[in-house]
Amino acid sequence: MKFGRYGLLVSVLVVSLLLLTVQTRGAGTGRASDAVALLLAPVQNVLVKVHRGALALWMNYTDWKAVQRQNASLRAEAERLRVQGLRTEETEYENARLRRLLALQQRLPLSALAGEVIGRESGGWVRALTVNRGRGSGIVQQTPVIVPEGLIGRVVQVRSETSVVQLLNDPASAVGAVVQRTRTPGLVEGDAAGVIRFKFMARDGAQVTSGDVIVTSGLGSVFPKGLPIGRVASIEDKGSALFHFAVIAPTVDFARVEEVLLLTGRTPQDVAGLFAPEG
Amino acid sequence: MKWLLLMTIGGSIAQSSLVPALSVSGVTPDLPLILTVLIALRRGPEIGCAAGFFAGLLQDIAGGGLIGAQALTKALAGFATGLLVGRLSVSNPLVQVPGLAILTIAEGLGRFLLLQFFHYPASLGGLMAHVVLPQALYNGFVGAASALIVAAADHARSRGWA
Repeated sequence: MKFGRYGLLVSVLVVSLLLLTVQTRGAGTGRASDAVALLLAPVQNVLVKVHRGALALWMNYTDWKAVQRQNASLRAEAERLRVQGLRTEETEYENARLRRLLALQQRLPLSALAGEVIGRESGGWVRALTVNRGRGSGIVQQTPVIVPEGLIGRVVQVRSETSVVQLLNDPASAVGAVVQRTRTPGLVEGDAAGVIRFKFMARDGAQVTSGDVIVTSGLGSVFPKGLPIGRVASIEDKGSALFHFAVIAPTVDFARVEEVLLLTGRTPQDVAGLFAPEG
Repeated sequence: MKWLLLMTIGGSIAQSSLVPALSVSGVTPDLPLILTVLIALRRGPEIGCAAGFFAGLLQDIAGGGLIGAQALTKALAGFATGLLVGRLSVSNPLVQVPGLAILTIAEGLGRFLLLQFFHYPASLGGLMAHVVLPQALYNGFVGAASALIVAAADHARSRGWA
């Protein structure tokens, strides 16, 4: 067994040395080296092909991995850009809204403070917004709250840094108003369904029609005169009843209000002309 | 015998396809040598010698150098490793890493000495510093990792998991 063991080793060594010697004899140009080259050429060709195939397979795999990584990276980049695009769009919208608010603030003949809506209550029992201005900013109860389209309500509760704004469609809301065209006086009231109604005396409102603009009357010295509230959508004729009601389509979409102006000053001037015709 | 052929041929193919991807600063492990050692550790000097010869021969043919040089040195390496089984605690990674490193250096030295007969031009210092020693280190770690994987596979097989 031992002889066999070392015999194998010696055989292998002899074969190797023989191969080396044959190849280099006569500086590799002799017949023996030619014979080795001739014998090994097909083997070399096969090996080269196999190696090339394996290399190509490996390169395909590494390429695929690289493409996969690149794909994941590009997807992440696309997602990041999409979010960035949305943010930019959002910023643009916000910018436009704030510009309109600022323009209105500059047009108004009274002091006003911009605020941001930070809370919303619209369950039906109460319809209100919470804004980030409170006692610390000089806000007091009954402060009128507007947006570039018109009136949205008044402050009913003041906290140190926030205020609660009662919306016009709150069931407890009542605002003195007039029909801009006929000057018919009445009260704008909210109800549980979220609808705003203009309540007026039947004898005064014969000429009130759909499309008439309702603005604040300025009576009671809470709201400046002329703040747009909405347009008459329909008249509920109660026949011989003392009061008639007009359903109002508000100029403001209360659900979409994000920034507001809190009117901290007062003015006897009619401000209706400072608002665009559509609020 | 079939698995032996598959391992040596596979090792040779992997050496020229997969191993370049494992290159660290131009240094690559010598996979056929590592396989020769693993085979010799499990099957003894004869099989180790044959595997080394075959793997080295394939490397020589594929590499386009002097055919027989690596066949001879790897056959010797396989034989020597096979003889060491039972004399050293070869399952210990603390033996495997330096063991494979020393074996790589010895194989490099042997190849260099052999090639001196055929007027190989490079200097021993340059070869050692840039090729043999870094590869020895790399082989040590790759070989130890491979030995651990083989041991884990054996363990799993003995427990009937695989």
